[in-house]
Amino acid sequence: MKKYVEDLDFSGEEYVSEWTPWSPQDIRRKKGVLEAARLMLDAALTAPFAGGVPSIEGHIVYGQEELETVARKVEEIAHTNETWKEPFLYEAVMVRDSDVILFIGNTRCHETPLDAGCGLCGGVLDCSYFYERKTQKYGLVDITDRSSKRMINGPLCTARVGDLGYAVGSALWTAHTLMVDARAFASVGMAGQKLGYCPRSGMVVGVPVAAKSKNPYVDVNVDYHLINMDKVLDNTRKIYQTARIIRGFDYRKWIPKPKKTEGEDK
Amino acid sequence: MGHLIGKKYCQEHVLEVAKGIALAVHKAPQITGKTTVDAEIIWGEDLEPIIEVMGPVGAVMRYVGWDHETLKRCYEKGESPVVVAIGAKVSRSNLGWNCGACGFDTCAEFNAYAKEHQGGGQLGGPSCNWKILDWAMACDWACAAAWQHRVDNRIMGSLGFALTALGYMPDMDVKIGLALGPPREMVYYSREEMHKTMTYEMDKQDMINCVPTLFTAFPGGGTPMYKTKNDWWAPPEFMGIGYSPEIMEVMQKVLFEQVPEIVVKHASKIEQRYKKKE
Repeated sequence: MKKYVEDLDFSGEEYVSEWTPWSPQDIRRKKGVLEAARLMLDAALTAPFAGGVPSIEGHIVYGQEELETVARKVEEIAHTNETWKEPFLYEAVMVRDSDVILFIGNTRCHETPLDAGCGLCGGVLDCSYFYERKTQKYGLVDITDRSSKRMINGPLCTARVGDLGYAVGSALWTAHTLMVDARAFASVGMAGQKLGYCPRSGMVVGVPVAAKSKNPYVDVNVDYHLINMDKVLDNTRKIYQTARIIRGFDYRKWIPKPKKTEGEDK
Repeated sequence: MGHLIGKKYCQEHVLEVAKGIALAVHKAPQITGKTTVDAEIIWGEDLEPIIEVMGPVGAVMRYVGWDHETLKRCYEKGESPVVVAIGAKVSRSNLGWNCGACGFDTCAEFNAYAKEHQGGGQLGGPSCNWKILDWAMACDWACAAAWQHRVDNRIMGSLGFALTALGYMPDMDVKIGLALGPPREMVYYSREEMHKTMTYEMDKQDMINCVPTLFTAFPGGGTPMYKTKNDWWAPPEFMGIGYSPEIMEVMQKVLFEQVPEIVVKHASKIEQRYKKKE
């Protein structure tokens, strides 16, 4: 077997730290999270599904600009519904604080239902609730008109939505096993779907993933969209710089010292 | 000090694993954080009504039949599966998201429809899809927890039907059952319990019925022949499409006569368990 020099070149070092953000050491850390997200997606694909039918697709998104785009879309959606406003704005912060986003969607819930007559969608003994509300011919759903005044173009086959839940559950179980932080979000899913991620899906769930000293998805404070680490750091830059300019001494000639207290050696 | 021989203690331990799985159901992550999910554990003699009510349904629906036979045979051999019942409240939305996934513009319209149609489907329904996602994630965590303990398991909609029919978990409006054990390989996959119950001819006919494209001859004429035998052209055979009064009659009899008869026998006993103590 021919051996190449690079086969023998197995030594090196990798310095990893979450500080400062987007530095080489931070990006190395993020690459580990990317591997975790890939394994989470594999786990999502092996979850138990009704009838064992393949219906899950995944989309892995990472990078500063990409996450910013998702965060802004979440913020846009937040302002469309008073109920969503505050929690979704908090979740946009969490998106920016994430390393990778895993989108998981179901490709069949809007087009090719389970057709088992389970009734989960509309509470009737057949699939009529779904088909009567869709444009379809002999059970073939026409999905070419993708315009909808609703965020999600329902109704959906709820059995297939259940399959999506199993997939997301397996992804989250894998995240727990790998000790990376992850949480499933409706807001991120809807934002991802509007941005075209999981393009064949009728419903999408967003699962941001992170490996940082503080889990980005828990223990948030009130007004989190206004008071968070990014804002605190930016505020430090704002305040500290100004604090410097309102004093004056040439450190080469004189530096102010604390006043000696009485009894202290001269 | 001790010495455990045989595998009776493994069989008993499946119940302890089930408790851990119920814990995983309650610990499972949610998207909404507002879905009520619950779990119960049923095994031994208490499986008898469940197995009984699955019987007639299994006679007309193959996947229910296979689940029924597997559970029944294991139970009769003294190796009772342990069932983790997982239920959730999904038939009303308290989210106010108005996302449209259910088919209505608003949660209020969905809730009004759901009030009229609650429980009308074989497995419940109507459902808020985000709550179904929460419930399904909990069910998936139950399956994952079972695999983590290396207990053979399968999540069964057929058990969900039986739990619903018999009135288990009355406060939950969607239910499913995770069958666990007995402790051996391939109880619910490849199903050794079902060996020699299906003839070659049945198996082949199933494939012809269910996967017709593989067996279809040249379709250009519009009425393709079906290749059901080696000399499929002599004489040719065609698949018929039409309403089947026979099949529908059997289905009606199962759902509206046989199942209710079994439910009447067991339901009041099960209902008593959920009556609040004075």
